[in-house]
Amino acid sequence: MAAPVLTDRRARLEASPLRHLDPLLVCIPVALSATGLVMIYSSTRRRLADAGLDPLTYVHRQALAVALGVAVMAAVMAVDYRRLREFALGAYLAVVALLVAVLSPLGVSVKGAQARFDLGPLQLQPAEFAKFVLVLVLAAYCGAHRGDLDARRVVAALGIAGVPMLLIQAQPDLGTNLILGIMTIAVLAVAGARARHLVVLALAGLTLAVAAVQLGVLEDYQVERLTSFAQSGRDAQRSGYNQEQSKIAIGNGGLRGQGLFSGTQTNSAYVPEQHTDFIFTVVGEELGFLGSAPVLALFALLAWRTWRVALLANDTYGTLCCIGVLAMLTFQVFQNVGMAMGIMPITGIPLPWLSYGGSSVVASFACMGLVANVHMRRFT
Amino acid sequence: MTGTRFRITVIGVVTLALFSALFARLWYLQVAAGRDYAAAAVQNAVRDIPVPAPRGRILDAQGRVLVDNRVADVITVSRRISPAQRRLVVGRLAELLGTDRRRIRARLDDPRISPYAPVPVAVDVPYEVLAYVAEHRADFPGVEVRPVAMRRYVHGSLAAHVLGYVGEINEAELRAQPPRARYTLGDTIGKAGVEQTFESELRGRPGRERVEVDARGRVLRTLGVERPRPGRDVRLTIDLDVQRAAEEALTQVLASARATQDTSDRRRFRRFAAPGGSVVVLDATSGAVVALASSPSYDPNLFTNGIPTPTWRWLNDPANHYPLLDRAIAGQYAPASTFKPISAVAGIVAGVITPYTTIRDRGRYSYPTDPDRFFTNDRGAAYGAVDLRRALTVSSDVYFYAIGGDLYARQRRGQPGGDALQEVARQYGFGEPTGVPLPNEATGRVPDAVWKRRVHEQRPDAFPYPDWLPGDNIQSAIGQGDVLATPLQLANAYAALGNGGTLHAPRLAEEIVEADGSARRALPPIVRRQVPVPGREVILDGLRQAVEAREGTAVRVFAGFPRGLVAGKTGTAQVAGKQNTSLFVALSPATEPRWVVAAVIEEAGYGAAAAAPAVRRVLEALYGLPPTPVVVTPPPRGN
Repeated sequence: MAAPVLTDRRARLEASPLRHLDPLLVCIPVALSATGLVMIYSSTRRRLADAGLDPLTYVHRQALAVALGVAVMAAVMAVDYRRLREFALGAYLAVVALLVAVLSPLGVSVKGAQARFDLGPLQLQPAEFAKFVLVLVLAAYCGAHRGDLDARRVVAALGIAGVPMLLIQAQPDLGTNLILGIMTIAVLAVAGARARHLVVLALAGLTLAVAAVQLGVLEDYQVERLTSFAQSGRDAQRSGYNQEQSKIAIGNGGLRGQGLFSGTQTNSAYVPEQHTDFIFTVVGEELGFLGSAPVLALFALLAWRTWRVALLANDTYGTLCCIGVLAMLTFQVFQNVGMAMGIMPITGIPLPWLSYGGSSVVASFACMGLVANVHMRRFT
Repeated sequence: MTGTRFRITVIGVVTLALFSALFARLWYLQVAAGRDYAAAAVQNAVRDIPVPAPRGRILDAQGRVLVDNRVADVITVSRRISPAQRRLVVGRLAELLGTDRRRIRARLDDPRISPYAPVPVAVDVPYEVLAYVAEHRADFPGVEVRPVAMRRYVHGSLAAHVLGYVGEINEAELRAQPPRARYTLGDTIGKAGVEQTFESELRGRPGRERVEVDARGRVLRTLGVERPRPGRDVRLTIDLDVQRAAEEALTQVLASARATQDTSDRRRFRRFAAPGGSVVVLDATSGAVVALASSPSYDPNLFTNGIPTPTWRWLNDPANHYPLLDRAIAGQYAPASTFKPISAVAGIVAGVITPYTTIRDRGRYSYPTDPDRFFTNDRGAAYGAVDLRRALTVSSDVYFYAIGGDLYARQRRGQPGGDALQEVARQYGFGEPTGVPLPNEATGRVPDAVWKRRVHEQRPDAFPYPDWLPGDNIQSAIGQGDVLATPLQLANAYAALGNGGTLHAPRLAEEIVEADGSARRALPPIVRRQVPVPGREVILDGLRQAVEAREGTAVRVFAGFPRGLVAGKTGTAQVAGKQNTSLFVALSPATEPRWVVAAVIEEAGYGAAAAAPAVRRVLEALYGLPPTPVVVTPPPRGN
């Protein structure tokens, strides 16, 4: 009875971890990226052509980022996730350094946010990589103190998360910070933080958010964007314009959609930022419910697989990595698509893999690489 | 570890809930409420560009074209060109057209032009320029040459006051139009004359081109075109030949008067000012306006491309005697002796005279209670025994002073008929607009006790006496005092007298014709009321004798005219501070009149001197008689 089990176990040990790869964790991001390329083409070709540029300009750049992202994912998967822990501190310090540097004149200011480095065809947004690195670091810290997260350690974990968040707030980039905050709370919760600590944390987060709106920490435009979704239709020409146009575009898709490249709202550039934050409106208008629901389903499927890995993981560190990624993925999708559909306020959060933006794509692939990594090494 | 599992499960449930919310919302937006959003999307992207309808023509009574549209070459610039191209194009066009860049730029930025339509920047461009633009297409991105319909007044200033003119609609006019009329800023609208009153017929119904546009207003494609319905033609009652004769007569009489000495001014040598005048020709049987001339005049073509400011200023300068004023309907004059037939009717209606009452005219009249104040005939002439017919022939003021005085006495005694003069005048259409379909018609004035008290209370300094005095009624009886009438009112009253008592609203349009001739709608005569015409034969005979009898006031002017063709009344109105107004109203033929011709010449002396020769010239045109030159000749006597 014991021997077969032993052989079985040995066989598993000896076999390459790739044998245990969950193909969905790799295929879904690639499929979403491919959809994203088509949608970016649809929403930018006209504008680029009008400006006398190659209509494929954005598609080329995004394809480059996707290729880079797949490579990074492979790299993340190649190294055992437990060994990645050893790089975590170094990566954390590097990201913090980058976040400081981006605020210096080395960084470029785009649309009021000092958030990027200009690197030729691609732009580097350190905040996107901060997501991935913070998952690693928090998982490592909390995993190390599993079941022993007293108030001091919770505060320490918050400190770890707080440093990059403060730097990101200086850009300012409210959206990324919301994601990081949610992710931190999720990781702490699963790591075994006490219920009352979590309640205090949630209340503190809520207070901070309200204070930010009320005390003028946010710029007026941010407040307006955040609050306008609650008064839809009232002020369609001003701050609510994006959301109203976005809802119109998605609603215009109907059940079957206007057809690929035939969305009237999309071709007419009614929705601002359509290839980035509002990419889902292109999916909604051109592919309709029959096209956008499956896209949403791919995200849900990915979330389910990630959640499953969190349960299957060999150790707490792996579980926490997956929970961190799951929290970020779910909240990003909910916030971005919810914003496009008018049930969430407008914050500049990209839709993973679909939105135009190299850093986001690469960081998202890295995160999924981490999950796949945990999954395929769940027996070792 | 179970605690961890539990917490992971909670996270899973939250995730599931969030995704469920997204699916629900997506279902709601796209399937449940999809139709509403699809409608909003259509509204978002669709714009209507108005397509103007060709404006209807205006024809004369015989169908000859008075106003039509011509095709003008217009250079247009698209607003879809880039700023750099625009800079280039504006510079090159300014150079080519010899205007400055600012004017072209102002045109391009004009918010009144639909942002989706090309903007016209130059009209009536010389052929060389058109050729140049056509040959250098690459140098003029967004520039097009296209034909545009422009209003054309075929005979220049002829009948200008009747026809009116068109111009760009202004804010006030836009507000006054109902929304279903689909006017937008930049549209053409009739601003005066028939162009204004028949606007709804002439304009047609503009079409629209439905286009799909993007968020920046760039036209993506045409979705459909609703063709415009061309405006209808309006055939007027105006006869081109008679109108031309009337205007020529007017021009000649004014020129002749300005060269003639005003002999009534004994203190110094002075010619007649004769700043302006008007001629009205009516068909007494139907109320149709055959000619309506006013001088000075203007050329309505000036307004077609937007009138230049200096021209507009010139037209409104008092020194030029207001060419835009239609004196035939808006000029108000004391009718003077031309009013006497009305006074005669009033006298007969009230019973103070019969058509055969004779009085002794000693050249002056005084009211019984005020025997020291005399009302005299012109130049003190005494005509002896005068009956009604002779009173009209020689224009005895005394005869009508007596009617005015007797009526006043009745008023004082509270007897019936005391107000006959005013009542009959109002019945004949004085003191109210005639209803001719032209804008800005004046009402004239029939003064009475109520009027006098009112103006006294309003302006006690200018009107010191609150009471209606004998002199007021006596002066009114010879059309002086405070009586005012427009030339059209005067002619229309004579038409009622001539046709046996039917007062019409003067008619300008014979019929409205669809642009393709498929349907026509006649505009029948409008009868306003029947008026009393007691003693009509005697009155008409008195007027005939004024033209034919040796002692008639206008006999010299109509010397050599066929007998029985004309009955007429001269009028010479005294105006404080000005030379006399010369009036003449003719009925023709004399017994059963068809035509009424009235002429009123400002500051031109006796009625027989200026107005009568002008009327004669028009009658010659009506009957095809050889024309005699219009020369102002002061008569020996009679006003």
